Amino acid sequence: MSEVQSIPRGPSDARKRVLVVDDGITMRLYYRSVLEAAGFVVEEAANGVEGYEKVLAHPFDLMIVDINMPKMDGYSMLRLIRGDAAVQAIPAVTISTEAGDRDVAKAFEAGANFYLVKPVAPEELTEVARLIAGVTKL
Amino acid sequence: MTASFSTRSNGNGVTITDEEYAKFCEFFYRKTGIQYQDNKKYYVDRRIVERISKTNSESFRDYFTMVRFQVSGEELQLLVNSMTVNETYFFREDYQFDALVTGILPAVVQGKRRGDPIRIWSVPCSSGEEPYSIAINILERWEQADHWDIEIHASDIDTKILAAARAGCFSERSVGRVPPQLLSKYFKSKTAGEYQICDALRDSIDFSLVNVVEPAQTKMFRNIDIIFCRNLLIYFDDVGRREAVEMFYDCLAPGGYICLGHSESMSRMSSIFQPRKFKDTIVYQKPVSEE
Amino acid sequence: MPLAKSRSSAADVALNVAAQDMTSLLADLAATESGVRRNAVRALGLHPGSAAALCDRLQVETSPSVRAVLFTTLIRLQSPAVAVRLAKLLRSDDAPLRNAAIEALQEMPDAVAPHLQTLLADEDSDVRIFTVNILAALRHRQAPEWLAVVVRGDPHVNVCAAAVDGLAEIGGPETVQDLRDLRGRFAGNAYMEFAIDTAIRRIGAE
Repeated sequence: MSEVQSIPRGPSDARKRVLVVDDGITMRLYYRSVLEAAGFVVEEAANGVEGYEKVLAHPFDLMIVDINMPKMDGYSMLRLIRGDAAVQAIPAVTISTEAGDRDVAKAFEAGANFYLVKPVAPEELTEVARLIAGVTKL
Repeated sequence: MTASFSTRSNGNGVTITDEEYAKFCEFFYRKTGIQYQDNKKYYVDRRIVERISKTNSESFRDYFTMVRFQVSGEELQLLVNSMTVNETYFFREDYQFDALVTGILPAVVQGKRRGDPIRIWSVPCSSGEEPYSIAINILERWEQADHWDIEIHASDIDTKILAAARAGCFSERSVGRVPPQLLSKYFKSKTAGEYQICDALRDSIDFSLVNVVEPAQTKMFRNIDIIFCRNLLIYFDDVGRREAVEMFYDCLAPGGYICLGHSESMSRMSSIFQPRKFKDTIVYQKPVSEE
Repeated sequence: MPLAKSRSSAADVALNVAAQDMTSLLADLAATESGVRRNAVRALGLHPGSAAALCDRLQVETSPSVRAVLFTTLIRLQSPAVAVRLAKLLRSDDAPLRNAAIEALQEMPDAVAPHLQTLLADEDSDVRIFTVNILAALRHRQAPEWLAVVVRGDPHVNVCAAAVDGLAEIGGPETVQDLRDLRGRFAGNAYMEFAIDTAIRRIGAE
């Protein structure tokens, strides 16, 4: 992660804001460390209900969403957000241990823009986050 | 417990590291929905150290293990009690009353016909500050108030406090945030430093004795549009909390709302309600169409 | 004054406190109205013999609110038999259902404990991950020990990662060596290294 691109900062703080939604504390800390190093501002939520609450309360440029979580899973959270006109456009990357075709299809149906399989390497997470949040273009 | 074991300035020598504090906060949040930031470390530390001392635990780790694995959950409850200050006064957490009159009530009446009552339930109502605050906010600040029949129900488990709520006498401190013109409009000054809510307001609120864990007692509350249940559920264990919010679900009308205390979040209790944002606060809505 | 006391004082709702018999309650589990189903579930919660029927209903019930009441009631009725039924849901394709099962099992330490070994040996790595998630939040003294066993022996990176996350919270100094050994098994995996470092730091035995 030595080649962190220069991302505009300062008074007009244009850094992208990412919401990390995962019930594992270690996983959230990991995403935070990787994404902060890549210039993102990171907020955390520990389940889908909390994730949706955070999305209602603050603007985000990207969501990183786990699938299996207590109270509300990632699919349900994405469906809720995609159905809410005020927040529905926030791009989302789901990250799951489940790698089957059906799991991937379900994630896209629920409204994911990208699908990653755990464990995710830092470079991969950074690259996908920048792409999906619109920091870099294809 | 001997005096030599007192907690004066961490008298038993137990200190809590930043890592331990982080671990504790994560756990406490998951269990109670109460969140402490780093700037509360002093406050939280003092209370944990106190409990460590009271339970004769050897260390933070020792104590934390007990809290975490104790099947009865008794120590967690004692810790919650020591962490929370149960204070009530007029217009407390008033951003929620803002949301009530500017967003929630307008949303509620959208689904109603003239003549339908609007039902609000304050539970627990404690000594009455909350239901009276709700009433005053509605009368003063909701321009549609005159067009609707609004029922305010207020319940508590404690008969003594309920009697006080009915009497409606409050101290100077309790009414400290009430603007002077509202104070003279809705209160009468009894003796020095004591104010009583005007009779019209007192008579308009339906006080009742209710234990929310007793289904027979909550069954009377149906088709409620808005429930205020602030700072009660933190005192319940996980299963008790689930039962309580599921009971509220049945008390609410379809599309009805529940408002929790500012440090509480439904996200640690249940997902049967949908979070909704009104002004600066999140409240929880029962789905409009019954599944 | 628009404020009005309820004319009927909310008594328009009939208090149906008469004890309903089991047969009609069981029939109500399939009622059209979700409110009737929720009430039937709660009433059946007073009859321990109804646990199996409630587990059956869980498999077909789709309403989130009825499901929630079913799980809460089964937590109250917990038994090893209930735990076995709920553990089966860990394999469900229905994400809300399996996650709710995990949460319910976390609330029944004594009932689930006898099955943990079997679940930890399941051939499906996702079932093992869910079991580790249950363990990490279980009020059971042996939970840290069982997580350490996973860290020592489970071949799957995500199962071990979940166990490390659990140990970061409930592990003691005695698990640090297992965590250090794990590093060798998944050398070069950035997440695993991060997780192990975090756990050791959090356990506070650097």
